[in-house]
Amino acid sequence: MKVIKSPRAIDIDITNECNLRCKYCYHFTGPGDVQEDIPTKEWLRFFEELGRCAVMNVCIGGGEPFFRKDLKELIDGVVKNRMRFSLLSNGTLITDEIASYIASTRRCDRIQVSIDGGSPETHDQSRGKGNFHRAVEGINVLLRHQIPVASRVTINRHNVRDLEQIASFLLDDIGLQSFSCNSAGPMGLCRQNREEMELTVEDRQAAMESLLGLNRKYDGRITAQAGPLADAREWRMMEEARREGREQMPDRGFLRGCGGIMNNMAVRADGVMTPCTQMSHIELGRINRDDLIEVWQRHPELTRLRERRAILLSTFEFCKGCVYMPYCTGNCPALAYTSLKDDNHPSPDSCLKRFLEAGGKIPE
Amino acid sequence: MLTDESKLIANQSIVLREESDDWAVLFDPETSHVYGLNPISVYIWRCLDGKNTIADIVRKLGEKCKDMPDDAMDYVKQFLSDLVEKGYAGYAV
Repeated sequence: MKVIKSPRAIDIDITNECNLRCKYCYHFTGPGDVQEDIPTKEWLRFFEELGRCAVMNVCIGGGEPFFRKDLKELIDGVVKNRMRFSLLSNGTLITDEIASYIASTRRCDRIQVSIDGGSPETHDQSRGKGNFHRAVEGINVLLRHQIPVASRVTINRHNVRDLEQIASFLLDDIGLQSFSCNSAGPMGLCRQNREEMELTVEDRQAAMESLLGLNRKYDGRITAQAGPLADAREWRMMEEARREGREQMPDRGFLRGCGGIMNNMAVRADGVMTPCTQMSHIELGRINRDDLIEVWQRHPELTRLRERRAILLSTFEFCKGCVYMPYCTGNCPALAYTSLKDDNHPSPDSCLKRFLEAGGKIPE
Repeated sequence: MLTDESKLIANQSIVLREESDDWAVLFDPETSHVYGLNPISVYIWRCLDGKNTIADIVRKLGEKCKDMPDDAMDYVKQFLSDLVEKGYAGYAV
């Protein structure tokens, strides 16, 4: 299997610290929650290696990256090694000073701020009291400094009926170009709060229909790679293929739901390399000890995950008799692992057959 | 205007990122733009050290490659002009 020489981008948990404990956070209590940060010089040395390997982008998350007092120094390291960066943030710790510095680098692709409501009533339910206003203020600070702002909405039981208000708030009131959405999944802290946070079949149905309608209203300004909107699009496509009697769709019928491992890698807050931030349990090596390119090209676990793409869905008892098999990718291996402790398996969470069996309908 | 004796030097802030099968991209971290390179243009890029003239580069290509076309110089100059226009390479002084 052909693999590019080095990852194009790296996702790093720059810290394990965060000032919030959002109820659905996949990080805390998950395998990425390593309760240990590494010193500045370790990251800087790693960025030098990334530069030598011609990595183009670093996505800085955590925890909450703005919690790190040496964030400027770390970003300097990224910039000095000829890379660009983005940040994933809860928005509550963003000051004018740091925003001004980030703007001055001219290397920031975007800062993604999580917003889970069009008002404090919905946002704060999952993210803590007072944090809606702080996050919105953070967005405003970034916009004042002309830093590209993205927003991620994590759909959960508290905000699933308020999607119209959220869309209006983000796209009309704040004026963002777009926002992305996913849903609270059975990872991390969400496992302790499943009943409160995870969408039921009815919730998913409502969210799919609402988001499809909103995306039409807002001319495609709502994006998704996972969650109800992504599922709706995917499942409608699969249903259309079934109705047309297509034998197979290209690249479907295999476990091909994950393309990330062909382009990206991740690093935990303790410096351990992993395939992605959602698969922090798979330890590939340690930064500054193990050669990045060697790990990227030859680590058996990465090879195994890449070879997953050759596994036919028809080999799974889970998929037996499913009419959508020729059009399906089996979706995210991390979600499969979360549910079944097996990443070489289709994800039950994103299974159309199961959704329909549970009473769901594919939106028109 | 490029001549056979022009010497160009690669902009050190531009990243040569090799992908696979000897193909590569030039990545400009300031703008995030990428510029695709085939194996021949990767070789040419690596020659932009401020010491090789364009004539040197074409000669070296001729030694390295089979069946080089007679108008290769024109193609090389066109490619190099493009790089200069983009700011990816400049004239050595």
